[in-house]
Amino acid sequence: MDDKIREALARVAKAPIPANREVSLFDAGVLDSFDLVDFVSDLENEFNIKVPDNDLHPTKFESIAKIAAYLSSHGAA
Amino acid sequence: MSALAGFGHFLPDGVLTNQTLAAEFNVDPDWIVSMCGIRTRRVAAAEETVCDLGERAAKACLQDAGITADKLGSIIACTGTPHRQFPGVSEEIQKRINAPGIPAFDLHLASISGLFGLALAHRMCEQWGPTLVVAAETMTRALAQGPRAKETAILFGDGAGACLVTPGNGPLAIRDVRVASDATFSEALRMDFGSTLQMDGRTIILHAVRKLARAITELLERNSLQVGQVGLFLFHQANLRLLERLMESLKIDPSQCFINIETYGNTSSASWLIAASEAKAAGLLRPGMKVVVAAFGAGLSWGAALLEVG
Repeated sequence: MDDKIREALARVAKAPIPANREVSLFDAGVLDSFDLVDFVSDLENEFNIKVPDNDLHPTKFESIAKIAAYLSSHGAA
Repeated sequence: MSALAGFGHFLPDGVLTNQTLAAEFNVDPDWIVSMCGIRTRRVAAAEETVCDLGERAAKACLQDAGITADKLGSIIACTGTPHRQFPGVSEEIQKRINAPGIPAFDLHLASISGLFGLALAHRMCEQWGPTLVVAAETMTRALAQGPRAKETAILFGDGAGACLVTPGNGPLAIRDVRVASDATFSEALRMDFGSTLQMDGRTIILHAVRKLARAITELLERNSLQVGQVGLFLFHQANLRLLERLMESLKIDPSQCFINIETYGNTSSASWLIAASEAKAAGLLRPGMKVVVAAFGAGLSWGAALLEVG
């Protein structure tokens, strides 16, 4: 799953994607507020899930580890 | 059935430039433009109150609509920056335009107030008669109540806009208005008593783009319209970068939008009304044109309206 997340990140990334999956993508400069909008949409398409409004919080998408945990909990493979 | 019979706006003379803000926050003026697309904002003078701005916009609106204040059925003042707890901005404007004896009340919903005011007026003007919706903000003063973050200080300006909603047919018919709120992330945009604006920009941008896109899409679907059939989009002028994302996601051509945020900044509840007033004055509302208004703000709240030029 991490590889697919990294591929999606690469489409919007503004800085090198950190190797450490726990690192904040915001602090690393990979995502800014506006990229996050596109990235969440991209994740929905890539993993065939729908992120409900109640889950739309940046902390859920802050690191590759958190993104993977969120996707796994929503049945994404 | 209701219609918009007129618009008005007022902007104070003071100008706050990126150079001034850049010096205050030790950033490059180009950084400000890159973040929000804003170059200048208007600032009320020390002696100017939110009521002064609202009064000027209200009077301009009545003049544009060609009616006198004694014909009004109600007044709704929309603001996130009232001059005091109560009585409201609406009562002060009522007194100044001399329209006693009709309901006058405030909506304190910040950026979304203007659209909620329109939605309310649309529903109640059949009973109460012509309703004056006035949105006025002194955002720069509100921000100065505490230590300001540069991310919010660069965004906001002062100003007022107004519209007159009348029952029946009119030059700009209100075909559909939907508004909604969801408090799940309400803390992400708030202003506590005696404090300055608090905004979690990432959360707000994420929700604003997605909720506005959905509201507009649903509005168009309900009315069997495509994006390309809309002649003019009037958005809450929140942040140019946010509007660009919204336009991109809905495939709206920039030529379909009236945008003045570069000059005035984000004037909160007043922003789309100022844009509407300027668009009308510029002759951009052409017969048969479909117009979509969309706004987002504290609550979190959002909505969209479909208008049609007669």
